[in-house]
This record gives sequence, structure tokens and C-alpha cells, in this order.
Amino acid sequence: MEFSLKEETKMLQSNAEKFFKEKCPSSFVKSMLQDERGYSPELWKEMADLGWLGLTYEEKFGGSGGDFFDLFILFEEMGKALFPSPFYASCFWAGFLIKECADEEIKNSLLPSILKGEKILTIGLRNEQGIYDHKNPTLKTQENKGHSYTLAGVRLFVPYAQVAEEVLVVAQVKNEGPTLFRVKKEREGLKHTFLNTITKEKTFALTLERVKVGQEDILGTLGKGADLVEKVMPKAVALKCAEMVGGLFRVLHMTVDYMKQRVQFGRPLGALQVVQHYCVDIATLLDTCRLIAYQAASLLSEGIPCPKEVAMAKAWCSDAYKRATQIAHQLHGGIGFTDEHDLHLYYKHAKACEMEFGDSWWHRQKVAEEMGL
Amino acid sequence: MRFTFTKEQEKFRQEVRDFLQAELKAGTFVTKSGGLAEGNNQEFSKKMAQRGWIGMTWPKEYGGQGRTYVEKAILIEELFKVQAPVAYHFLADRQIGPAIIHFGSEWQKEYFLPRFVRADDNVKFCLLFSEPNAGSDLVNVSTSAKKEGEYYVIRGQKVWTSGGHQADYGWLLARTCFDPNVPRHESCSQFILDMRTPGVTVRPIINMAGYHTFNEVFLEDVRIHQKYMVGKENEAFKQIMAQMDYERAGMERLLQNYPVYEKLLSHVRQMKETRKNDPFYYWVKDAVAQLEIEFNIGRLLCYYTAWTIDQGRRPTSEAAMAKAYCNLYEQRLNDLATKVLGPASLIREGTPWTLYNGEIADCYLWSPSYTLQGGSVEILKNIVALRRLELPRR
Repeated sequence: MEFSLKEETKMLQSNAEKFFKEKCPSSFVKSMLQDERGYSPELWKEMADLGWLGLTYEEKFGGSGGDFFDLFILFEEMGKALFPSPFYASCFWAGFLIKECADEEIKNSLLPSILKGEKILTIGLRNEQGIYDHKNPTLKTQENKGHSYTLAGVRLFVPYAQVAEEVLVVAQVKNEGPTLFRVKKEREGLKHTFLNTITKEKTFALTLERVKVGQEDILGTLGKGADLVEKVMPKAVALKCAEMVGGLFRVLHMTVDYMKQRVQFGRPLGALQVVQHYCVDIATLLDTCRLIAYQAASLLSEGIPCPKEVAMAKAWCSDAYKRATQIAHQLHGGIGFTDEHDLHLYYKHAKACEMEFGDSWWHRQKVAEEMGL
Repeated sequence: MRFTFTKEQEKFRQEVRDFLQAELKAGTFVTKSGGLAEGNNQEFSKKMAQRGWIGMTWPKEYGGQGRTYVEKAILIEELFKVQAPVAYHFLADRQIGPAIIHFGSEWQKEYFLPRFVRADDNVKFCLLFSEPNAGSDLVNVSTSAKKEGEYYVIRGQKVWTSGGHQADYGWLLARTCFDPNVPRHESCSQFILDMRTPGVTVRPIINMAGYHTFNEVFLEDVRIHQKYMVGKENEAFKQIMAQMDYERAGMERLLQNYPVYEKLLSHVRQMKETRKNDPFYYWVKDAVAQLEIEFNIGRLLCYYTAWTIDQGRRPTSEAAMAKAYCNLYEQRLNDLATKVLGPASLIREGTPWTLYNGEIADCYLWSPSYTLQGGSVEILKNIVALRRLELPRR
């Protein structure tokens, strides 16, 4: 048991904290919700130059050779600031899927430009209910002569589809199974529609109407797409937990600061025991989330299989972050319910995070399974 | 960041496990929740002492082993999983020894510490803190200690004294300054009281579970020699705050009912065989998974607290948070166990049809005490609010 960070990780953490504090105030987050692109190409470039976009990739692809735990820490910092960017979709999901499929040629042709931030990729792995359905995708294919395929179906919650050069999807291939395809944006029959969700983040519906792709667009092996996604999934869940831990951290500090300032009944609200206990409840939620999420991330980083630890982390963080935002709203009162305030950004973020990859109930089922129940 | 144990730590854990399994086999004790309340076994303590497991974190010059608190947490985890009978030396090891090391005189260190680490006779301690009018508001103690020559003369009443009827010594908090202009928290001192001193009367209090573990203690003109005063006069609260951090830091707060958890799990595994498609089983599965998560988090909080001490920091808010969390977990565990096992789990020991010899019923009855002893959950939250979050007092 060792709870301190390595020196390099500490450095990354403090640099990232400074970077996002300075460059991503809540006004920036809110302005990006109105922005067409939904991210800042200047900041994106800066992050590429800092080596953050390629944090965990091999140097031969232009990466910085960090470990997964470093990426987790970076996500925690992005979560604190609610930094809007295609990082998760492009540099994590798409990049990691490409990393997992053995084809060196594809890696060489895609990874360097993704990690430089020049090319943005995204993923369409969620069905019409918003559920990850890679094991049994509703996206269908038809095999044409000359080994080409026609894709048809709908993908929801495709991040940054409006700026992505390519989207990676898993589609069902008859007699073969789920297969991972690259779909380039210029393909005919591809249409994206903005999804106006509670967070207003840049996420889209993607309709594929008889979209033609070739055999060269298959990533990995025919029929093995679900396995590829499953390999990346535990890390995706852990990074979602990192974002939640970061968000929870900000919620605690925002609330405690306000409770010190806000005077009612002739004294700061924070001097009232009932208020203090609520604040301690949020602090407890933060510490417990941090421990259980760090545990999963650290085991993943060491390459130790840990499906139970990942499920425990997502189950606990999902409930805890949401609960923390509820308490924070209660303590903030009316001001926290205004559009002008920042708290609602976290309230919405908590809900969106809870619903991605399965809520606490879903992950408790996984924990039970791992316990032999 | 590393969430696994080193090879040496794993080896140590195995050593403890092997010892405990051998003792269980030999019939030294049986695994039943509540071991800390009932397991007063000097012979067992002596065996632990021979292995260097009493005072293992203390400096070597005081007979300790200079080992880490993480290792101590491993020891406590293994001991409590099987509810080993550690009550004889437990307080001396957990908080009396560390308090003497920090605040005691040379004489006190030389006299008490070697006896503690050997589990000699007269090592069992009780805490004489609470009074009828000083519970959570501990600074309100009114028991007086008036100086007469080389002695202090004690008058007053203590209450909720766990193990007071078995203790050789009491760790006493009493008022030594009677100037109304001096703040209450700067008016008290700590003493080591030989419980056989004339004027000490221990009367049992039977708790709501039907057990006699705590007592009320009457102190009538009890004379304590000044060499038994610990630390400086009137500085008791400074000392107690530090001592409490250690009292709260331990893994035992999570594991007082561990056998209940094991029984619950084995029951649910049987349910899976026979009632897999019962909607009740779906609920049970979910509830037990939630408990498993909470247990894992509690364990991490305890190890984190132990690690904090190993970094040379006082674990004030870490220990307070860990204890509050673990206490609440244990209450939920016992409640869930009764719900899953059903009404028969409420039948008490010695009655036909009882389940697990009434252990679940007993633990459910003990539950309300967890969030009260050693600082109520509310007091613990106050500590985190003021110390860590730095919220204003007024």
C-alpha cells in the first residue's frame, strides 16, 4: 500500500491543474457550449505540444511513454475543470482501439496525427437507447461483391462527430460477428444530428444510410470487434471515474468556500453544524471515490486484471458524485439553481457520467458476479 | 500509488494467519463476533507478545519492533477476521502505550512499556473518561483531583467504562484546576489509576444486548501518587486529542462483525443454488454487492489512515472520517444480515431454531453502540469540518 504519487505524476498533476485553472475557467466551458466546434484548437495544440494527447503512447508514434495512471490523473484534472475537448473520443477511445488492433501500418498512418491533434477521430459504440452494444450491435452490415460492406443503422452519443475525420463503429457482420469499422466522414449516407442533452456537450446522433466501406476499413480481425472494445472498456470506465472524482473535488471546494462566505442568521452558514455535516458528507464521498477509483486505475496501470475493482469504482462513483451535487445544490440554495452559477454544470455532468457504461445497479451486478453470486 | 502489498507484507500476513489457524485448531478460541468485548485471554496475549506483535509499531528502545502502521493494520485485519481474543492487551497496545511514549515520564516508560509488550500481569486497562455530565462534551468532566503533598485525591464518578470490572488500571481524566477563569480544556490532567486502590468501586451496567461489558466507576477519596500523572498538569486535552487519533485509526472499527459478513455471504451463496430465480434473490444480490463495495472502501480508508501515520503525520481527520464511515458500514451489515436471513435470525443464543447461535441477533443489538463509542459520528464529523475543511466555529 502506497498512497503517494510518483514524482513525475505529481509534476504532471500540478502542471495540469495550473493549465486548466488558467485556461479553462467556467466562462470558457460555458462559451464552448455555444461554439460550433465545441473546443479550442489553440488549447488542443498546446496540449499536443505538452505531450498530453499522446501521454500513454509509445514514442515511435509520437507519444510520451507515460503509464495509464498518468492518464487517469490528467483526466481527474480535466474533470475538475470540465474541460471540453475531443480527448476522450479521439486520443483515448479511438487511439486505444487502434493501439489494440495489431496492424502496424494502420497505427503508423493514424496514431501520429491523432496524437499531434491534427486529426480527430470519434467512436459510435452506443445504440438508440444510448447503451454500448458492441457485443450485439444494432448497426447492421450487408456484404457486397468484392468484399465491400454496406452499413445501416443509428449511433447515439457520438462525441464531436461534427469535427471528426473518421468514426469507429462496431457493426454486426453475418456469420462472422461484431466487427470494428472505420467510417470516413466523406462517405455517402452519413449524417450527424446534434443531440441536445442535459449537458449540452458536443454529442451527436449518427445515421448511417447505406454507407459503403471496404475491407481495408476493418480494424483488427473480422468478427472480433467486440473483443477489441472489451479490452479498452475497463480503462474507459476508470477514466470516467477519474472525471467524476475531479468533478466531485470541485463540488466540494465550491460548496465549502461558499459556506464560509455566505452569512445568514448573523454568521457564516458554515458555522452551523448541520451545514458542516453536509460538507463532511461531500468530503467523505470524495475521499471514498478517490480511493476506490485510484485502486482500479493503479491495478489497470500495472496490468493486473481487476474487473471487480473497476465495477466497484464505477458503482460507487456514480452514486457518490450525483449525491454530492444534490447536497451541494441544497447548500447553495437559489443561487445554485441559476444558469449563471457553475454548480449546475457539475450536477449535469454527474448525471451524464452515471448513465454512461451502466449505472451503479448495473455495476453492482458485475461485482456480485465476480463474488460468485 | 500502489494498492498491492509488498512481498514482506504478504509474508507477514501469512505468518499471522498460520498462527491464528493453529490456535483455532487447538481450540484456544472460537470465531464469534464481539471478540473484543469478551476475549480477555492473557495466555493468548502472551503468545502474541512472544512474536513481537504487541507494541510492534513502538520504537525499539521501548521494547517495540519499530514496524509500520500498515503492518499493524495487516495484523489487526487478520486478528479481527477470526475475532481473536485480544482484549487483555488491546488498549495498552493501541493507545495507552503510544500515549506513555509521547507524554509519559521516564519512570512510566520504564515501568509500563516492557510489561505491556510482554503481556505481563496487570496490563489490562480501561478508560475513565466519560461521566454522567460529560459525554460528547468531554471538557465538562467534574471528577476532581486535588493535590495533597505527593498525592492527588480523586472524587467523582465515571461511566460507560468498558472492561472496568476486569481492568488492572484505569486511564483517568480529572480536573486539576478549579479557577473559573481558566478555560475548561486547560483544567484537566491524566492519571494512571490502579483499580485496586481503596475508594474505587466498580458497578456493572447491563447493556441493551444483555451483556455486562461496561460499568460505572465511583471514586471516593482515591489517592494517586503524583508519579502516576501522565504528561503535564492541566494539559490532558492536548494529550487526549492525539491519543484519540490512534484510538480511532484502526481496522478494528471495520471488522467487529466480520464473522457476520462471512455467514451472510455463505448464506447468499446457498441461496444462489436453490432460489436463483426468486425476485428476493435479485434484491439480495444487489444489496450484498453494495455491502461488498462499502467494505472494500472501509478497508482502503483504514489502510490510508495507517499509511498517513507512517508518513509522520497525525491522522486526525483521516481517522475521524474512517471511523465514522466504518461504524455506519457495520450497522448496515448487521441490519442487512437480519433481512436476508429472515425472522429466525432474531432468535437468541441457547434457544432451539436459533441461527448461528444467535450471533446475528446479538450483533444487531450491539449496533447502536458503534456510532457512539470512541467519539460519536457527529463529533467525528465536527472534527473533519473544523480541522480539514476549516469551516468556522461560529
